[in-house]
Amino acid sequence: MAEERRIRVLMAKPGLDGHDRGARVLTLGLRDEGMEVIYTGLRQTPDKIVEAAIQEDVDVVGLSCLSGAHRYLFPEVVEGLRERGAQDVMVIGGGIIAKEDIPFLKEKGIDAVFGPGTPVKEIANYIRENAKRK
Amino acid sequence: MFDKDRMEEIERRRREWEEGTLKRSRERFGMKESPTEFYSPAEVKDFDFLEKVGFPGEYPFTAAEYPSNLPALRIRGGVSALLVRAGRYSGYGAPEDTRDYYNYMREAFGRRGGPNIAFDLPTQCGYDSDDPVARGEVGKVGVAVDTLRDFEVIYEAFVGESDLDKIASNWTINAPCNVILAMYITLAEKRGIPLDGLRGTPQNDILKEFVARGTYIFPPRPSMRMIRDTITYCTEHMPSMNTISICGYHMREAGAGPVQMVAFTLANAMAYVQLGMEAGLDVDTFLRRFTFLAWSTGMEFFKEIARARAARRVWAKIMRERFGAEDPRSWMLRGAGGMGVPTHTLTAQRPLNNLTRNIIVGIGNALSGAPPMVPVPYDEPLGLGHSLEAEQLNMDGGRLLQFEARLADVIDPLAGSYYVESLTDQAEEEIWEIIGRIDAIGGAVAAIESGYMQREIARSAYEYQKQVESGERVIVGVNRFTGENELEVLTTRLVEHPYDPVKRAEAEEKQIKNLAQVKRGRDNGQVQATLKRLKEEAKDEKVNLIPSILEAIKAYATIGEICGVLREVFGEYQAYNVAA
Repeated sequence: MAEERRIRVLMAKPGLDGHDRGARVLTLGLRDEGMEVIYTGLRQTPDKIVEAAIQEDVDVVGLSCLSGAHRYLFPEVVEGLRERGAQDVMVIGGGIIAKEDIPFLKEKGIDAVFGPGTPVKEIANYIRENAKRK
Repeated sequence: MFDKDRMEEIERRRREWEEGTLKRSRERFGMKESPTEFYSPAEVKDFDFLEKVGFPGEYPFTAAEYPSNLPALRIRGGVSALLVRAGRYSGYGAPEDTRDYYNYMREAFGRRGGPNIAFDLPTQCGYDSDDPVARGEVGKVGVAVDTLRDFEVIYEAFVGESDLDKIASNWTINAPCNVILAMYITLAEKRGIPLDGLRGTPQNDILKEFVARGTYIFPPRPSMRMIRDTITYCTEHMPSMNTISICGYHMREAGAGPVQMVAFTLANAMAYVQLGMEAGLDVDTFLRRFTFLAWSTGMEFFKEIARARAARRVWAKIMRERFGAEDPRSWMLRGAGGMGVPTHTLTAQRPLNNLTRNIIVGIGNALSGAPPMVPVPYDEPLGLGHSLEAEQLNMDGGRLLQFEARLADVIDPLAGSYYVESLTDQAEEEIWEIIGRIDAIGGAVAAIESGYMQREIARSAYEYQKQVESGERVIVGVNRFTGENELEVLTTRLVEHPYDPVKRAEAEEKQIKNLAQVKRGRDNGQVQATLKRLKEEAKDEKVNLIPSILEAIKAYATIGEICGVLREVFGEYQAYNVAA
């Protein structure tokens, strides 16, 4: 039996925000959940994130932003993936995201938003259930 | 503390207690081990008051940095004693928006003192508001500052009785600190205010940016040179200006443990002390202008208190013994306070519990050689800005601890507690151990270049998360004591936050226009000439760059242009991006 391909995740920090405790913890946590996770590090432009997502052939992009710039940065990543024909890559977000912004982000193609304190398991389960396998 | 015979008797009686009274109780409840600890003099046999604690404001400063809490209490109690102190951390949108906010807070709430300016991320990272990488971030986490013009606008709120020689300013700025400092100096010169009358505190703690906060620009070595420039320039020209605010807070928030936070902070601080000494300055002179924005705290009450006490003692020893500082003020962990600020422990779930958490920490602050400061408004984790109600509860919480509970009537009341002294000794030992490891790597800068601190913090953060998820670490209302029928606890926000959301949303567009206007009005030939000089001088490590940055600022060069030139010479820091 062919070995099942592990879910591949790109954990990314768009914009200039330097708070990456969440992104780092999730990188390690999702690895422990059996996924392959690549962390971009800080200060990535949406273009760079899209490029990395395509190069690394990921199933999921996780975006973390605590600066309030998510309303601009998150949809840019979704848009960039679409333009490159990678619309089947799931995009999820986290950070300090006001409740009022969540419907806006979902409308823009962000699949789910996870706030501070979300258990890693909950995010892992969401990914397993919803990532579109290629 | 006790003579030999008496100590032996205590030890004997302890064994008897463990095998008798305690054991019977354990067995009655079917427990293999006692769930509680009890400390007797036997656990701190070598306790020597003068060596381990000393009097408040004296070596080794375990009890407190200061002989009394008087100045701090006056502020908290609302007695208008020290008007010049910088106010709360604030700033948003375009410079006009922040100026209007400061004016409003003065008129509506009687806010006094200088500004404690929050800068937006493009400013903190040395990018102009019209830079493509700044998109979406302009005016968000703070005010946008591109040129001297923006500082002139912000400080229109500080004139007359609040002019620059009557206030202290605080700037949360690190990598481009000297650019901001040059703006302030130029502003003062334009207003005819002598430099030696200027008071302020830039953060300027770049090392913790590499490790925890992320607003670095240049690699560690040239970044340290910039801080050396701050120290030497201010020591000569601005004796009342603090040169650095050394932070432990952000490392803890990023995941460091309590002792790790202290050890990394003190290791970073040692690297800054080294800078001044290598520049040939007298340690007792420049150390007076070092300050600490020290601790973020967890909820483990006595351990955090002990860690705060141990930190003061270790620093005193480092400064006196390792660096040979002679002035007792140089031995002091200036401004570090006590238990600290519990931001990372606060939860978005059941937010009112955060008030309880903060009151506990307020008590801890009062018991660890600091004023009874109740640190963070409970609605902080909601990410909506602090409501004025939540702020008032905090302010009143501190007053309540001071005036009703009278916790501020005594300093370090836990001194001599067998338990707390034992924990303090243990924390000290652990701090020295980590400092020893960093020494072995070659000091804080080398430890950061090699990714040591970053890795350690990421590991601690993940360990913490695993403890929370396994339930080993209990967080009330988050991983335990939650129910099917969770109450929606409403937080009141009867008064709007004074930041205007519309202005905040429009700030980017507005500030790009402001910048374009400045660029049209300035002498571009002059700007280029100043940038050329800056670039040449940047190549010579020995040169202090502040004079040439001042020239550029006076010509209305932008922060992006100045940092851009320095990027060309210094390169950019390539982040240590491995998760752990």
